[in-house]
Amino acid sequence: MTNLFSSFLDDYFAECDEHLMAIRQNLLFVEPYVNQPLLSRSILDKLFGSFHSIKGLSGMVGVNEAEQLAHEMESYLRALRDNKVVLTTEGLDALLSGTKILEEVITAYRIQNPAPDIVPICDRFRTIFTKPEAQEQEQSGLQEKVELNLSGQSTPTVPDTQPKTLKSLKLKPEESIQLAAALEEGNRAWQFEFLPGTEKAARGINVNTVRQRLQSIGELIHAEPIALENGGIAFDFIVVSHADTDTFADWEKDGITYLPYSQQEIKSQTSKVKSQNEEWESGITPEPQHPRKAENLDRLSPTPPLVPSPTALFTVAPSNVVRVDLARLDELMQMVGELVITRSRLEDNLNNLKPILPASHLRTLRETNLTLERQLRDLREGVMRVRMVPIGEIFVRMQFAIRDLVKQTQKQVVLEVSGETTEIDKFIVERMINPLLHLVRNAVSHGLEEQQERVRCGKSPQGKIALRAATVGEIVTIEIEDDGRGVDVEAVTSSAREQGSLGADTTLSSETLLDLICSSGFSTRKEADLTSGRGVGMTIVKNTVTELGGFLSLDTQVGRGTRFIIQLPLTLAIADALIVSVSGQTFAIPLSSVHEITQVPSADVTLYPTFANASVLGGEWGDKFFKPLRESKWENNEMIAHRGTVLPLLRLARIFNLENEIPSSDAEDNLYPTLKKELNTQTNIPQSINSQSLLNLIVVGNGFSAAAIVVDRILGQREIVVRPLTDPLVQVRGIAGATELGDGYPVLILDIIALTRAARIKN
Amino acid sequence: MKEILVVDDSATMRRMVMASLRDLKNVNFKEANNGLEAIEQLVIAPVDLMILDLNMPDMHGLEVLQFVRSHQSYSSIPIIVLTTRGDESSRNNALAAGASRYLTKPFEPRSLALAAQELLNQNLCQL
Repeated sequence: MTNLFSSFLDDYFAECDEHLMAIRQNLLFVEPYVNQPLLSRSILDKLFGSFHSIKGLSGMVGVNEAEQLAHEMESYLRALRDNKVVLTTEGLDALLSGTKILEEVITAYRIQNPAPDIVPICDRFRTIFTKPEAQEQEQSGLQEKVELNLSGQSTPTVPDTQPKTLKSLKLKPEESIQLAAALEEGNRAWQFEFLPGTEKAARGINVNTVRQRLQSIGELIHAEPIALENGGIAFDFIVVSHADTDTFADWEKDGITYLPYSQQEIKSQTSKVKSQNEEWESGITPEPQHPRKAENLDRLSPTPPLVPSPTALFTVAPSNVVRVDLARLDELMQMVGELVITRSRLEDNLNNLKPILPASHLRTLRETNLTLERQLRDLREGVMRVRMVPIGEIFVRMQFAIRDLVKQTQKQVVLEVSGETTEIDKFIVERMINPLLHLVRNAVSHGLEEQQERVRCGKSPQGKIALRAATVGEIVTIEIEDDGRGVDVEAVTSSAREQGSLGADTTLSSETLLDLICSSGFSTRKEADLTSGRGVGMTIVKNTVTELGGFLSLDTQVGRGTRFIIQLPLTLAIADALIVSVSGQTFAIPLSSVHEITQVPSADVTLYPTFANASVLGGEWGDKFFKPLRESKWENNEMIAHRGTVLPLLRLARIFNLENEIPSSDAEDNLYPTLKKELNTQTNIPQSINSQSLLNLIVVGNGFSAAAIVVDRILGQREIVVRPLTDPLVQVRGIAGATELGDGYPVLILDIIALTRAARIKN
Repeated sequence: MKEILVVDDSATMRRMVMASLRDLKNVNFKEANNGLEAIEQLVIAPVDLMILDLNMPDMHGLEVLQFVRSHQSYSSIPIIVLTTRGDESSRNNALAAGASRYLTKPFEPRSLALAAQELLNQNLCQL
């Protein structure tokens, strides 16, 4: 096509993405209606609309394969919508595969790859649904609407004799059915009228916001413009709702009036529908295979539980949405970050002025500085909010993946989804899509047992998979849980021993188990199959989570199920942090993980010798820092009693080798453990413990993973701009990234989750 | 200044239409995402030309067309119906309902601009 439109490619891709997402969601709603005569018309309308839009846009930017495929799918949906065909399993499968291929075609165009072959899928649609003859097709789609307008009423002009009477509205047949079904459920029907105007529009009261208001109190059945006798225009709506009149009584001041929509009116509408149906059957339009008659109403009422009110799902008018390239948001966030640093510098400079400036001047300067800080914080939150998207987008994709697998594996799966409105940074979402899909695929293909096996184990034949998301503080937790067979620890252990990554006598904790599963190339399967791959998937999952500053953990019980827990930071860019110094080195501790700052006499520290086995110090982490300890089989675990519980002490100086390392022990250790313990107290513990000085402790982490970090000084609290250390050469476990406080010197940010995990003490 | 109202449920398509018409002199664009919104725009401020998509959710473009044509105050507004290829069958319906022009997507920016200019000039003569 013309060059003019090539500048719209980004918009094209974004809009296609939106439509594809809506399509995936709506196809899931359609699924329960396979082979059912009466399919929810509004969902079919939405599906039809999405394919139609993709077709139109693809034509404009010249993605011909997408245009053609969308056209085939649109034709099939039109036939479904007009009740010319019934949705079959093959039909749904074709729609699902078609959607997948359509997405691939668009993606291929985006990354300038050759498009996949669409001929087979187009042929599939043609076999499923033999297109009506050309002439018949001409009648389809629009014909019905024209029919409606010609039948019954003459023009939309309805005499407006008395102001407060009902104007007669022209409900479409499916709307009348919808209305009748809603009334049967005990709703009341209301007719609302809104008079649009310039002044109201300026106040933000327009037909779109009114429609949103009406949708908020119930189900919007019908909307129609009415020409008033005085030359004006009104919009009339029919809404069914449980809501009390109090809810909308004061809408009158915004020009929204209401009256009950009478039973009488409804009856006459229904009879009109019937007569219209008869009209149709008499031959203008092909006879619908399942005419919408009263007996079909019953079919509509038991809506499958999966289907929330379809209108409620996509109420945001697309016209209110601005699409922004993520890279631009990154730039913006970067700029906010630089502003934050500059303000820190300003604050330092202000402090330097203290001796020379009169107090009153200094105070006003400081007040301005504080205002600036507050405003910057608001700005930062604003930018952050712009980057947030609901996690539900991924969940829908995951549902799709599950559906595909279920078909391949003949397993039955019940899916539980919660927290899909949880918001998370768009960048993180994009990066997490593939890892999450991998976990879900694993859950279906490896986690859940075959039906017979489940029954044998006394479980319900249907497997259960739960997807959950929740935000706690500045951490988003995503959980993927199945009630399948659990990870076979035996198989993993023996595979690991065969591959030499596990010693013969070591036992597995859930952390080492996870480390093993995630180690590159590890697989318990001898051969890769379609669903399981070659054992690199889990490595990617773990690496992605770690790169994003998150943490992956595993909770599994043989025979009961497996749960993967992914903890991710809400956003990557800016965080509040406590700035501390240890042995002359400055560190930043994210404030979100700090629970308490306290001082304890060093005499309160007790030493707790534990067997430093692999279960405490998994893999790489243990090797890096605790190898000398592990070799000696001894570890100094300093503990402190705190608020009725016991916390391990973390000495950063030791972990990061900031002072002399603890001398490695010799063979005597094994012989004289008690003696060694005493020796440790005497020699290895830093001087501060022996004196009666106070220790500055920062209590971090939650529950069992809580720990106390010993620091020399607490320098203050700052907003920091997190710059991740992605280069593997400078990556150090326990360090999440680096920041700068405005003086040009880098400050390392502690990875609290990794540190506390390592400090956790096992019995 | 001439007011052009672009009615389409796709924001990208609206922008494409506006981009095609950007060389027209003294025009101002207004957008509507659906049929009801389009009709509301007519009430709020005068419109000199409407570019109307047909396949829209809730209220079909044809219904918008019929409503506008039957309304005493707005019946003379020139309307270009711009609809997706494959719906050609609706050409007769649209023209019968009073469409001033009927174009299909994908459209040539030039033909759309030409049609728009023509209709705007015509309207000027009528006044």
